[in-house]
Amino acid sequence: MRAQAGVQAEQAVWRAGLLSRRCLLRVGGMGLLGLTLPRLLQARERSPRLPQRIKSVVFLFQFGGPTHLDTFDLKPQAPEQVRGQHRPIATSVPGVSVCEHLPRLAKVMHLVTQVRTLHHRMKNHNPAAYTALTGHEPPVDDIRLRDTLELYPAYGSVVDHLAPNTNAVPTFVAYPYVIRDGAITPGQHASFLGKQHDPFLFTEDPNAPDFRLPELTLPQGMSLARLEDRRRLQQLIARQTRLLDQAAEAAGMDAYYRRALEMLNSRRLREAFDLGAEPEKLRRQYTRTTYGQCCLLARRLVEAGVKFVTVYFSRGIGGQSTTRGGWDTHGFNNTRMYPIIQKYHLPLTDRVLSTFLEDLHSRGLLDETLVVWMGEFGRTPRLNKNVSRDHWPYCYTALLAGGGLKAGYVHGASDRHGAFPDRDPVHVGDLAATLFYLLGIDPATEVYDVAQRPLAIAEGRPVLPLLG
Amino acid sequence: MPKWSVLTIAWLSWAVVPAGAWGQEGPSPVSYRVDVQAVLAKAGCNRGTCHGNKNGKGGFRLSLRGDDPAWDHQALVRDQLGRRIDLLRPEQSLLLRKATLQLAHQGGKRFGTDSRLYRILLHWIEQGAPDDAQEAPQVVELRVDPRDVVVEAPREEVQLRVQARFSDGSARDVTWLAVYEAVDQRVEVTPEGRVRRRSDGQSTVLVRFLNRQVAVRVAFVPRRPQWQWQGPEPRNFIDRLVFARLKQLRINPAPLCEDVEYLRRAYLDLLGRLPTAAEARRFASDPRPDKRDRLIEQLLQHPEFADFWAQKWCDVLRVEEKQLDRKGVSVIFNWLRQSLQEGKPLDRMCYELIAARGSTYRVPAANWYRANRTVEERAENTARVFLGVRLQCAKCHNHPFDRWTQDDYYHWAALFGRVRYKILENRRLDRNDKHQFDGEQIVYLAPRGEVINPRTGKPARPGFLSDVPQGPRPGDDPLEALAAWVASPENPRFVATQVNRVWFHLMGRGLVDPVDDFRDTNPAVYPRVLEALCEDFTAHRFDLRHLIRRIMRSRVYQLSWRSGPENREFAELFAYTPLRRLAAEQLATSLAQVLQTPLHFNGYPLGTQATQVAGVRAVRLRDRPPGSGDRLLLLFGKPPRIIPCECERRPETTLKQAFELLSGPVVHQLLTRSDNVLGRMLRQGKSDQEILDYLYWSTLSRPPQAEEQVHLLAYVRQHRQGRRRAWEDVAWALLNSPEFLFRR
Repeated sequence: MRAQAGVQAEQAVWRAGLLSRRCLLRVGGMGLLGLTLPRLLQARERSPRLPQRIKSVVFLFQFGGPTHLDTFDLKPQAPEQVRGQHRPIATSVPGVSVCEHLPRLAKVMHLVTQVRTLHHRMKNHNPAAYTALTGHEPPVDDIRLRDTLELYPAYGSVVDHLAPNTNAVPTFVAYPYVIRDGAITPGQHASFLGKQHDPFLFTEDPNAPDFRLPELTLPQGMSLARLEDRRRLQQLIARQTRLLDQAAEAAGMDAYYRRALEMLNSRRLREAFDLGAEPEKLRRQYTRTTYGQCCLLARRLVEAGVKFVTVYFSRGIGGQSTTRGGWDTHGFNNTRMYPIIQKYHLPLTDRVLSTFLEDLHSRGLLDETLVVWMGEFGRTPRLNKNVSRDHWPYCYTALLAGGGLKAGYVHGASDRHGAFPDRDPVHVGDLAATLFYLLGIDPATEVYDVAQRPLAIAEGRPVLPLLG
Repeated sequence: MPKWSVLTIAWLSWAVVPAGAWGQEGPSPVSYRVDVQAVLAKAGCNRGTCHGNKNGKGGFRLSLRGDDPAWDHQALVRDQLGRRIDLLRPEQSLLLRKATLQLAHQGGKRFGTDSRLYRILLHWIEQGAPDDAQEAPQVVELRVDPRDVVVEAPREEVQLRVQARFSDGSARDVTWLAVYEAVDQRVEVTPEGRVRRRSDGQSTVLVRFLNRQVAVRVAFVPRRPQWQWQGPEPRNFIDRLVFARLKQLRINPAPLCEDVEYLRRAYLDLLGRLPTAAEARRFASDPRPDKRDRLIEQLLQHPEFADFWAQKWCDVLRVEEKQLDRKGVSVIFNWLRQSLQEGKPLDRMCYELIAARGSTYRVPAANWYRANRTVEERAENTARVFLGVRLQCAKCHNHPFDRWTQDDYYHWAALFGRVRYKILENRRLDRNDKHQFDGEQIVYLAPRGEVINPRTGKPARPGFLSDVPQGPRPGDDPLEALAAWVASPENPRFVATQVNRVWFHLMGRGLVDPVDDFRDTNPAVYPRVLEALCEDFTAHRFDLRHLIRRIMRSRVYQLSWRSGPENREFAELFAYTPLRRLAAEQLATSLAQVLQTPLHFNGYPLGTQATQVAGVRAVRLRDRPPGSGDRLLLLFGKPPRIIPCECERRPETTLKQAFELLSGPVVHQLLTRSDNVLGRMLRQGKSDQEILDYLYWSTLSRPPQAEEQVHLLAYVRQHRQGRRRAWEDVAWALLNSPEFLFRR
């Protein structure tokens, strides 16, 4: 009861912050009762900042939908058809258990904040993944949901729009796949915010021996010195027309050349992508897999100042292989969920995530970095006829870590079958609001879509009880 | 005396201003539908950014801009156990306490307890907060005076007068209660309807009262007694109308562009590429005074003209492989190209698209209904592409900025209710991808097909999007009736939309902008230019070439990009020509042309130009990495053609583009290939001067200036790693110069 009161008090403080934002409705000299219009409003999009609590977010997206019941929200008391085959083991947090196939993670659960009641209504991969990647449910739960400019931007693109880095370091980096389930999954880019806010995206494998970024790698025969020569010639020619002085469009393009050259010249950025600088032992601890090295790279990017890093666990929904792919374990084609996740998904997650969290923690990065581990949905409480589980968005678990959240804390509880929230439900939109809130961006900030409708960047409210 | 004050006097004599419910002298019944709704709008409560938002605000949701008063009544009176309205203690009502900030309110203070707005709400609650749905009169007309005014300095403001006329015959001055909205920052409007100058120039103010809106054009001009018109002599009616307005606004346009700029514009706009070195030299050395006109004629007959303009149609007709498959894409592209080549009148072409049915392989136009697979898509996209109407808002609520109601939406949708498709085969590669169709389909008309209007729960009667109710007659073929109604010289929306889109492609911005958003509240920047062009286009039987010729011959098209302090802020008045980055196809074609090295487009034979790539992605990315040409098109914003909107083409410059041009694989490879133009010229023993001249004429359509000549030749001669590398650097610098990358 008292905790509840505390939460309400914090929410009141948060609302007070909004009040000052609302005062902005009077800018533009339109007077209190003046009506709104898109162009004027665009000036208002930039809301006053909330205090910035974290510097970066690392979003580890688990495509396919991990089973919450066999990982973090086990139901040992439930009937066999629900509880499944995994037994719980104790963790570093008294009273909190995880699945027996996650022994290393069990030792770092004191760094982790669990949200056991994440929910939305999308049952197909692409609409659900879009929901998880943007915080907004699409208008229809249709497998045909197409990636159009009418849909919301990715979190990182919103951050780049409202609170961009101004140095050579990109705001939003995403890798190592463009994910798709049939069609390309929406929610991976800037959509109506404009291409300039798309992620700095690459699909090269950080685990490859010759891993390099094409953008930061000069082609054969090119050198920075030669580029500088070329740039001088370019400027000589540009001087003839005075286009750069007199036309903002040309000056804008030139600014991107400058930024690109800065990035090419930036030791900090080049070194961030140089995984060879890491001790071999640590690289092995992260596992010499694409996913493992992606997470290691995420740490280096956070150190370099990237604000939003999205790592995709897999390119597709997978679920039928013990060596690759996502978490979509229906038991199709005579496969079975348990052997697959025991062999592949759980051991990989166990080693990579535990190493990642410990590494961030030991470097003191975890205080200012929020790690999010989640899929587009959980899986059905009742095992299907293939002793596997199908899609379940109504209640599932997300792991958060760092960012000043309460460590070792479990927020909310699912019912006895893990089917629906029993207490403290958290909509994906609330989680989105929390991310923006921690980054110091007011979640009620409105942006304008192609139809010039004002749309709040997050439809939920920050989950303040998560804050330490 | 300025024009507006004459009008004001005329208006005052016409106005009837009864005291009514709003007088100071005391209560007469307050109407919920008229007074309370007006107050909610005036105080901004039902705006899209406040409680009119689709999620409401703070748990309180009103219909957007009072679109649904019955819903609002429910929200006000019933929700929250009636706490918003307290009938026993009216002054304690949350509605009043929040709005006056006696209680914390995210939206701040909307009005004071001593205001007329407050008294209306209070009085209504005291009356028992009834809904007077039955007896309340409707607004039948909103009169605003002035509607179009030019205000000269030192005068800095103008008062609007607003009168509402009601269905019961009454009329009221609603100046203080109407809502005012400035569409840009040139002016501000007080709540009392006084428009104040913030900077000179033309602006639009929207005036709204209940469900009626009027757009008012207001311009503030400096006094400048010494000011003189220095613009060019008008050449045709476009110039006369545009220049007359600019004179009125005391804005001198930029001078006319130079020949080289005109040449490049003409090639980019008509063929989608820059002129070759030879073409540029030929034009430069042509002494005839009418060579600009001759160039238009020559390019309009060029086969690449049809390629490039077919692309513009492909963008809005959603010509992409997933839905249409490769054959369908090629069939409709060729049909469009051929229609343009042979000069098929535009109304005929549009008629064929709207009325089409049959095999999507044999009837190219039928691909429009294949690309748009649902009734809603067909309805919305047909309205958007052919009539410039964005109807999608009206699917869920009456359009907040336009005349269209939810009923209109469903009447229109019902026209498409019988359109069906039969999938003869589908060889799609990915069974999970429900967007993918590969195989012949038949579009046909089913004998029946209803569309339910969710508001009434009943099937909607098919009806056109017109101001007076009309639709197909019983027994008519609905698509043919629709096509005949849409693509008709009698349909002003159709003609204006087509004219405006051509203007947009040539001038970079529509007279009405965005081009698919025609509505009373988004007036054309030069309404009379649009009208005159429409008349001209109709009189010339929808001949696209004629329309293009008309616009390109105008002085307005030929104005320079060099803006001055007088006109810099007036790009939307076409007082000068803003720069535009070359579009994806233009850039790709020009790069390949300069270096004489073809780009690769997956699925197309080597040597295909970017403007001849019919679709978006002939081979899936996962089956084969994109070709060099595909990469450029994607990076520089060729639209994926999923929504039928020009806005899908992204004009912005990005960091990724800079990386590609700076050191990316495509440009690098074009520059370094041994068989490119540099390699060939070096092997042929061309002199440095010859090579430099070629590069300049092919990239910038001009010879090098003295400074460039000296520097660049010295750079090549002194380069330690050889001529070839030096020439690569020079070519790179030219291809990366703003003079190459921008249309100016």
